[in-house]
Amino acid sequence: MAEDAATFTSAGLRRGARRCLALAAASFVYGIGFGVMADHAGLALGEAVAMSALVYAGASQVVALGMWDDPIPFLAVWLAAIAVNARYLLLGAALRPWLAGLGPGRAYLTLGLISDGTWALALRERAASGRDAAFLVGGGLALWVAWVGSTGLGHALGAVLGAPSALGLDFLLPAFCATIAIALWRGRGDLGPLLAGGGTALAVAALIDGPWYVVAGGAAGCLAAAAGATHDA
Amino acid sequence: MTPDVLVAIIGMAAASYACRAGGFWLMGFVPITRRVRAGLEAIPIAVMAAILAPVAARGGPAEAAGLVAALAVMRATGNDLAGALAGVAAVALVRTLAA
Repeated sequence: MAEDAATFTSAGLRRGARRCLALAAASFVYGIGFGVMADHAGLALGEAVAMSALVYAGASQVVALGMWDDPIPFLAVWLAAIAVNARYLLLGAALRPWLAGLGPGRAYLTLGLISDGTWALALRERAASGRDAAFLVGGGLALWVAWVGSTGLGHALGAVLGAPSALGLDFLLPAFCATIAIALWRGRGDLGPLLAGGGTALAVAALIDGPWYVVAGGAAGCLAAAAGATHDA
Repeated sequence: MTPDVLVAIIGMAAASYACRAGGFWLMGFVPITRRVRAGLEAIPIAVMAAILAPVAARGGPAEAAGLVAALAVMRATGNDLAGALAGVAAVALVRTLAA
């Protein structure tokens, strides 16, 4: 236990921020795209920046913009945010052995800043006998600053570009969803959930007005993957 | 900022934090089975497919060209933004030619 005990130091925080700089750069580029889309969806600069600062989850923010309307479909937007971010349940669960020793205050602060990339780097760090959980906080903060700052820049850029459909900017959101799907693709096992999600969305969009087809597609993909998984031993 | 937008954002923030912290918390009570894991991991790609399917079904040649360009450039470069911009450029090009 003693040799395994997690530490939480400012050196670990700085190391996390340094090691995650490349991830932060990627997050910066993606944030510019999000800012342009947020402007296009009708969010004010402060609203777009507040969303990035408080939600801090790119894919779910893009999905929310796709559903944005007047009046805002609150329930559908929130359910979609839960659906898209549900994978974080797994990342957090995997951190249990490491973070449990920190005490709840530090553990739950650290968890608020996790993202796919920093989580993966931190676990690699831990496998190489790094015990400093502040690595996750440092990396998370680096990405957060890049994400929030670039959202503001992108929004300003979108406001300058203006004129939507001739420039094809109305297509930026679907185009981003397509590239995110490619980035998420792990192999043929993902084909079932992909088809279930797309097919269910088409059916539900034809039957029910509003953005519910997004939530329904996510649920169908989840069930398809769960049904296709082999039994636990 | 309108109160409606603020409420929407706070709800989304609560949802994302609950997901980030929830797995760590739940691990104290329930085992995460292979089935649960597979289901949770598949949701994001299914949601992206759900957003794209009606766009692809309703869209014309411009949107079709945009999707193909976005997917091709993303696969070739591995860069999200490059792929998305290629999609936008293809849509703008086809619309200009068709106009």
